[in-house]
Amino acid sequence: MNRVLTVSRVQLVGWQNTVGWPWLLLLMVFAVNYALFLSIGDIEDNPTTGAIASIYIIVFVTSINWITQLLPFSMALSVIRRTFYLATALFLVVQSVVFGVLLFCCQLIEEATNGWGIRLRFFGLNFIDQQNPLLQIAIYTMPFILLGFLGIFVAVFYKRFGLTGMWLLSTATLLVLASVAVLITWLDLWSDIEGWLVDQPMAAWFVGWPALLTALLAGAGYLTIRRVTP
Amino acid sequence: MSTVRAEHLTRRFRDVTALDDVSFTLEENRIHGLLGRNGAGKTTLMQIMTGQLLASSGKLTIDGKPPYENEAVMSRVCFIKESQTYPQYFKVRHALESARLLFPDWDEEFAQALLEDFRLPLGRQVRKLSRGMHSMLGIIIGLASRAPLTLFDEPYLGLDAVARHLFYDHLLTDYAEHPRTVLLSTHLIDEVGELLEHVLLLDQGRMLLDTTAEALRGQVVTVAGPASAVDELAARNEELHRETLGRYARATLRGDFGTAERAQAKALGLDLEAVSLQDIVVRLTTAQARSGGDATGTRKETTR
Repeated sequence: MNRVLTVSRVQLVGWQNTVGWPWLLLLMVFAVNYALFLSIGDIEDNPTTGAIASIYIIVFVTSINWITQLLPFSMALSVIRRTFYLATALFLVVQSVVFGVLLFCCQLIEEATNGWGIRLRFFGLNFIDQQNPLLQIAIYTMPFILLGFLGIFVAVFYKRFGLTGMWLLSTATLLVLASVAVLITWLDLWSDIEGWLVDQPMAAWFVGWPALLTALLAGAGYLTIRRVTP
Repeated sequence: MSTVRAEHLTRRFRDVTALDDVSFTLEENRIHGLLGRNGAGKTTLMQIMTGQLLASSGKLTIDGKPPYENEAVMSRVCFIKESQTYPQYFKVRHALESARLLFPDWDEEFAQALLEDFRLPLGRQVRKLSRGMHSMLGIIIGLASRAPLTLFDEPYLGLDAVARHLFYDHLLTDYAEHPRTVLLSTHLIDEVGELLEHVLLLDQGRMLLDTTAEALRGQVVTVAGPASAVDELAARNEELHRETLGRYARATLRGDFGTAERAQAKALGLDLEAVSLQDIVVRLTTAQARSGGDATGTRKETTR
């Protein structure tokens, strides 16, 4: 466990470039949005941007870099794969929670200042807004964790099986999805599924199902990394 | 601690056999040289030794335990390779900071002294370092890690002569104060000849030599003199190489050259010369190539 924490600390080395950078970019995107909507002037309904997605995309890319860059380096410094994976998973979860809380704080400020004075909705998106603060934080946090483990799995899979493996994996995934779609059409289940999907609470959409998918990806990544050559 | 033992190690990549039934032992607290031509299997061997690759068959242990995914073993190993990559955003100080966190025996003072000696800029991005500076960074990490088992794979690509000798000097001094097991793979054999206590020679995945540097120097000699006298001596030893000029011949022989043999050669009117480690390696590997690389490793060359 001690070693896992040490390896996690290595991921903080040069943190400005990994942990700091997404926030700097988000800040810049925010500044642009703010300037834009300020210049447009008073708008009837709350302008909602969706630009918050940028930070999620960067975290996804960062997680890929953990495997393509930090893994070979760490293994050169005699870190074993298992420890690296556990350390990365730990780091990802902690980082996601911190990011989730920060986003939640930003949303609070946004509400308190009536949308930064211009009724701008940058951090809060109407459809994900919740009354329960813990649930709200979870809704911000979970996509970080899911995207992180997705990036890790894809990168590990690529390192292990190469381009051919990636090609096979994506083809197989497409085939499975297509067959499921055909099966649903054949059994005439679309309207039932639609009803079921609509009935799902927002928490299930942003927390429950992502958590399940994350668990699968994390497990698959762990099994794949054991035989990776740096 | 830190002895490495390999038994019948074989590694195949699709149609290439990178290592072919290799067995050897690295003794504790000694400097070993891993020599061989490009593609001889040196890097593959080191990768298996550090658990980065798995052998196709055979067994390798460090202090009796296999290194693959073994935390206890690996935390005592440091493997510096020429082609080491660093995260894109890393500066020199980031790399050193990581090494300080990860190596239990890291000596920060020593690292700082090395930085000064090599004149490596701490704030420079690693990807913007020159080839030689890139190598220096690896060398500093390798030396300051003080790992009980330290592997250097061609550590000084692009390094100038001054920096190379700095490396040799530091390695020797620090090794004297803090003994450890070192395995150094290199092409610059003559430069490290004095450094090595034990020599391993790989050729096309096979171990051609596994002997102390001392014994090796006694084993291989060059004799020069009348061709008939050279023939007589060559008949009793393995001939690696021969040059003839009229009735005068000069041959590199491998055998057991003790005092008696030397006296006998003198009596035959032959001059005996010591052969440099580099020449020994060149002679052995080319003799191996000429004979078609058969697996026995010992044979006689008769025709010329």
